[in-house]
Amino acid sequence: MDREQQTPVLSVVGLTKDYPGVRAVDDVTFSIEAGSVHCLVGENGAGKSTLVKMLTGALQPTSGSMKVRGQPFFPANPQEARDGGIATLFQEMHVVDELTVMENLTLGMERSRFGFLVKSDLDDRVVRTLNAIEPSIDATARVSSLSVAQKQIVEIARAASSGASVIIMDEPTAALSEREVERLFGVIRRLRESDVTVIYISHKLDEIFQLGDAVTVLRDGRHIATAPLSEIADRSDLIRMMIGRNVFQTYEPRKTATGETVLEARSLANHLLDDVSFDIKRGEIVGFYGLVGAGKTEIARALFGADKASGSITFKGNPVGHSPRQAIEAGIALVPEERRTQGLFTNLSIRENIPVMNLRKLSDKGVYRSSEELAAANEYVGKLSIATDSIDKHTEKLSGGNQQKVVFAKCLFADADLLLLDEPTRGVDVGAKMEIYNIIKNMADTGKSVAVFSSELEEVLGICDRIFLLYSGALIEEMANGPEVDIAHILNVVTGGGEGAVQ
Amino acid sequence: MTISAQIPPRTEFTRRRLGDEAFITLLVVLAAVALFLTASLLVPNFFQLQNMINLVTNNWAVISLGVGVTFLLVSGNFDLSVGGVVALSGVLSVWFAQSAGGANALSTGLGMPYFLAIACALLGAMAIGGLNALFVVRFGVPSIIVTLGTMMVARGIAQVITHGSQRNTNLPEEFGVLGNLYMFGTSVKLPVVLMILLILIAVFIEKKTVFGRKTYWIGANAVAATLSGIDRAKHITYLYLFSSAIAGVVGILLASEFKSGFSNRGMLMEFDALVIALLGGVAIAGGFGSVVGMFFGAIILAVVTSAATGLVLSPDWQFTLKAIAVFLAIVVQTWALARRNR
Repeated sequence: MDREQQTPVLSVVGLTKDYPGVRAVDDVTFSIEAGSVHCLVGENGAGKSTLVKMLTGALQPTSGSMKVRGQPFFPANPQEARDGGIATLFQEMHVVDELTVMENLTLGMERSRFGFLVKSDLDDRVVRTLNAIEPSIDATARVSSLSVAQKQIVEIARAASSGASVIIMDEPTAALSEREVERLFGVIRRLRESDVTVIYISHKLDEIFQLGDAVTVLRDGRHIATAPLSEIADRSDLIRMMIGRNVFQTYEPRKTATGETVLEARSLANHLLDDVSFDIKRGEIVGFYGLVGAGKTEIARALFGADKASGSITFKGNPVGHSPRQAIEAGIALVPEERRTQGLFTNLSIRENIPVMNLRKLSDKGVYRSSEELAAANEYVGKLSIATDSIDKHTEKLSGGNQQKVVFAKCLFADADLLLLDEPTRGVDVGAKMEIYNIIKNMADTGKSVAVFSSELEEVLGICDRIFLLYSGALIEEMANGPEVDIAHILNVVTGGGEGAVQ
Repeated sequence: MTISAQIPPRTEFTRRRLGDEAFITLLVVLAAVALFLTASLLVPNFFQLQNMINLVTNNWAVISLGVGVTFLLVSGNFDLSVGGVVALSGVLSVWFAQSAGGANALSTGLGMPYFLAIACALLGAMAIGGLNALFVVRFGVPSIIVTLGTMMVARGIAQVITHGSQRNTNLPEEFGVLGNLYMFGTSVKLPVVLMILLILIAVFIEKKTVFGRKTYWIGANAVAATLSGIDRAKHITYLYLFSSAIAGVVGILLASEFKSGFSNRGMLMEFDALVIALLGGVAIAGGFGSVVGMFFGAIILAVVTSAATGLVLSPDWQFTLKAIAVFLAIVVQTWALARRNR
């Protein structure tokens, strides 16, 4: 295949998008080869989402043009973009839980005559596509019974069976365990072989090197570079292009961890957890690492009183209550797994989001003091450098990293002594990740305790003092972090190979 | 606490703007004023002080119900039971107060002292609110279904007690006082003054108290609210009790005004209360709206219906006019907000 002679499957020229006061995408020009995996990288607010929204018809560019297979392409809405051959997988799941896998796959593509559904070969076709991608998923199963990873695969199958020539994937591995990621990569490579182009957006740079053919780097809405990945030396090279500084994360032992136990969990058990016991000490950062479904979220929610679990949990010597309200009062705060549905009030402004976990601090005999709400919002927007032009901005309009910082601000405002962070940097770019890690370390340095529940090994190894390895609802092993940690051993344990190693 | 050593913290992000809620409320107020002025130009004798007062005083019952309904809508829940509760509490207050030995079943009551009778009627009304809360909060049934059911339960009980008719005999002398008490020598009656007091208290709760703020958080995202330590179950229970208590008082006052307990009283009032809340910019999805907006929504509806019926149309057109007003209002509000936040 001679690259020079091919028309690019997609090209954009001078693409620009203005918002009042902000130029989100600034004169971006690049093109994408057919049948390649083209990665799109950039920091928070670099313009990736806006660019994707223009490609998929959700937003109209202020100026500039797009071409698909040489033809001018101006989608006025997502349907037109799909008709033009561009399908999208979103960061958040866009599947309907109440329908079956099959119904989800054919959703919006049903043939009808006079408003009545008619049979077509559609069903057979989508089943074939699904089987090619992931035979273990039953097409008649209800989607609500699938795991997050399986739902994702249903979404990919839907895009693939719609006959799209370009599939945009925005952070597709954010919710997947390492093994599932491998499976997804297999799917993507098969798509590439059948001449489908994948635009792959991810903050996990290793994935980009593993999978990508070419990469486009955006920074502050501008196009920095488009190059074959073979021409990029290594991760730090790419990171330098993205942010113009070097931020490789390495663990530095901290000295603030004390021997004083603040939280004691004994024999936690529920439908997923199996006899989990551990301690958390004052001033330390502990990590809970395991694959999706290993029980991380369940432990966090049990500690927070959001889910029921048998066993005992004592915090600073007292039993923890059975509701989030009691947990917060005792000094425990949770940054939940799904920030948009569980952490944020997306229809409310930054100012209205921050105080909710500590209303006592802002009120006097039930009367709310708005002026202090204003002061608190200003303080935390400054402290956490949340990028916004106004504290009255709806949190819906913020980028992923800034949304997560608002959720952090909520928890910091609660003055908690123990912070539970469930996937704290999911869907957050490299720069914001570093800032969030700094926030976490600073918390611990001031004598608070932090528990990080993560499926990213790099994250756990980067910041945690002590690491608990989980597999299938059980705590298999506890280890101290340090330069000599055996990564091969960790991966072996969390994938189920470490049963013999129970202490 | 220092969060970031490298980046000096900025401290001012106070580039404020009018909130979406204030914006919509302003829009509703302007629409109410504009409609009133237009009606004044078209309808003879419309532009009179007495007419302005009437627009409010004729609607005291629905506006009062609208307060409870607005709070519940903001929290993401419906209350369609208020009309039924108005009938129930009115009928109960009559039944409890009627003296024990009457000539027939409809004139025989329980013979309670009047104030005990209305207190018990109020408790009966709040029992319906408790039932709403029980099903919505404990059993997780969608509020629209629960309150549609309790609406019929309440009116059904009222119908049984009145035998599908009215109770208006054998009542103590003081029964007709509260609903017909003229205040300060004017034509304004006690219920209107109570409505104004209720609005003032509601605005204070909504804008200035933790309770009011919690209502918005629950409506905006119930899951996040619970994970942020808000006791949603307790809050929604309070709101249903609050709404049914208002409806109970309205029912007692109406029964007093007419000196009768009538099982069809308050018919469709739940829909009027919903309509004025929607006209006033309260979002049906929750998390958005205000009592002041609801109040001016009621004014819009009153102006439209009274002006049109005073002009050319027969009163039969009232429903159609309400429908048109609601559709227009919701389309305009949605469009204005989308345009603003683009």
